[in-house]
Amino acid sequence: MLDLNRAVALALLAFSSGYAYLAFTYHLLPFELFLSVRPNTMPLALAVGGIVCSIALLIKPQSQEHETEGDGTVNRADGEYLKNPQNYNWIQGIALLVLATFYALFLRSLGFLFCTTAFLILGGILLGERRYTLLISISFTASILVWYLVDQVLTIFLRPWPGWFY
Amino acid sequence: MFDGMLLGLETAFTLQNMLFAALGCFIGTIIGMLPGLGPMSVVAIMIPVSLQIGDPSTTLILLAGVYYGAIFGGSTSSILINAPGEAAVVATAFDGYPMAQKGQAGKALTIAAISSFSGGTIGVVLLMFFAPALANFAILFWSAEYFALVLVGLSAISAFAGKGKVLKALMMTLLGLMLATVGESSLFHAPRFTLGIMDLQSGINFVTLAMGLFAVPEAFFLAIDKIRGKKGSSKKSQEISNLRINRKEAKAIMPVIARQSVQGFLIGVMPGTGATIASFLGYAVERNLASPEEREEFGKGSIKGLAAPETANNAASTGSFVPLLTLGIPGSGTTAVLLGAFIALNLQPGPQLMQDRPEVFWSIIMSMYFGNIVLLVLNLPLVPYIARLLTIPRSFLIPFVLFFAMAGAYIGQNNATELLMLLGFGVLAIIFRFADYPLPPLLIGFVLGQMFEDNLGRAMRNANGIQFIWERPMTLMLIISAAIFILIPLIRDWLAKKHK
Repeated sequence: MLDLNRAVALALLAFSSGYAYLAFTYHLLPFELFLSVRPNTMPLALAVGGIVCSIALLIKPQSQEHETEGDGTVNRADGEYLKNPQNYNWIQGIALLVLATFYALFLRSLGFLFCTTAFLILGGILLGERRYTLLISISFTASILVWYLVDQVLTIFLRPWPGWFY
Repeated sequence: MFDGMLLGLETAFTLQNMLFAALGCFIGTIIGMLPGLGPMSVVAIMIPVSLQIGDPSTTLILLAGVYYGAIFGGSTSSILINAPGEAAVVATAFDGYPMAQKGQAGKALTIAAISSFSGGTIGVVLLMFFAPALANFAILFWSAEYFALVLVGLSAISAFAGKGKVLKALMMTLLGLMLATVGESSLFHAPRFTLGIMDLQSGINFVTLAMGLFAVPEAFFLAIDKIRGKKGSSKKSQEISNLRINRKEAKAIMPVIARQSVQGFLIGVMPGTGATIASFLGYAVERNLASPEEREEFGKGSIKGLAAPETANNAASTGSFVPLLTLGIPGSGTTAVLLGAFIALNLQPGPQLMQDRPEVFWSIIMSMYFGNIVLLVLNLPLVPYIARLLTIPRSFLIPFVLFFAMAGAYIGQNNATELLMLLGFGVLAIIFRFADYPLPPLLIGFVLGQMFEDNLGRAMRNANGIQFIWERPMTLMLIISAAIFILIPLIRDWLAKKHK
């Protein structure tokens, strides 16, 4: 049966095969043909290693040995989450990643200050924070502080405002 | 030499220079905490500011303070939020973060501070007495030896290959090595495996990958599981911020610190290796020297596993000054930036520096010693407050962890594609973690991959084949050590399983 372990191994096999194809078809320059080490020498070796390893992972019987510590609060094996998915708040986790994606997409166009403040506020609300005044003030202060440190003190440019603003 | 040392002491221990050393350590620590701003970037950023001072000794003292501070700052974010913003502190996160999760953040930060201090200080003592001799030794190392040294560094993956994970750890290392081949390398100037994407031209950014692999999944798991990490944050804040190390623990880390100070320093002396290899190598060596019970703890919050890379990377950072000061060759990225500062100050580092400008040469060395003391004095009282960051409610902590990870990848690059790549790596890392694949070997493979290929390629070109392996005794010895480091734990585990 194709469990997650094997599905990942299959994906790694596909990746290694694709990598092998790119390494094999790599266009060598005429002088590179005579080199003892060519640009695709190590990639080809790695690709072969990757293919062999992923096939071994596919064939090998799977056993997940987890280590939970005492009360199970620390080092909960990550695979455990999939065994009892109803016990966990998947929506919060996924929504946070979606929010981060929006942050990445709009950071340049909306500017650092607005985007960061909005990300921190919405992230907090998403995770159940209802002390809005505190959340807004901390998020805004943190955005300003980071921007000031990076842009003004360290002189690494960070566009503060939306692109159309100036 | 003692006259020079006295002259250095006289110059470094003026009130003005001591204040600048303290200021440098403070600035370095604060900025170094931001993922993505490692010692090299921080020193580079501080050069224009420090040049305004005018006096060469004071300028270099300030920069040395910034350098040490930034290294310590990087360790802090590794330990507290599993966000290693620099390659040299990746190994610090392996055991530092699990310690913080267990509610021992204060202790972890204290061990990091003491190890950094010891590594740096012993390194400076070695630098004072053996710099010229070691510089001659360092240039005996050729690509073949560097390749073998990287191989020994790669053996650190064996720490994550226990309990039926050997194949998975190997696969992850190969994946890391594959990712390291993306973009241009110093050996082959045409870009490879970029799929026509311009952003991949110069390869995958270390910070993007590190934050994607460590910080993003951590934020995700903390968000889906309210109990996760609770042991770390629900303990009384006094306990989290407790700095105390008991006698047994001190006894355990002392030999580690002694060994790694010397080993890290010697690795740092060789141009091009630097703190990254030293930290992985230190981790691998100490794991192999540990007793079976202690070995089991590595990767889960071992104090030896934390002390080893922290000591080694600081000692190596000091060691990297040897080729800079004695030969004028920068031994690492940061010392290359510092070389720029020397030139801007009209100083030519190299054999003549000690004769022409002894006050500068010795004041830098003395200020390193002083910088280490300042770092310890400055940071130890701050540890309880820094550790208490973990008691922040999750609704504030998680978005901030994610924000710092993204800021680390974005700052300096100013490229939003980095953020999308970071999130992509984050999602992949979450899937890998669900399937119980260890992620540290991937990052180890990536970090060492380029050095591995470059040095192997150069060695093979020089020797026109692989005969350098048996023709160069040092290379052979290092390769055998790497094989022993990788194979012995595996054989030991296999035998233990068989006896059960």
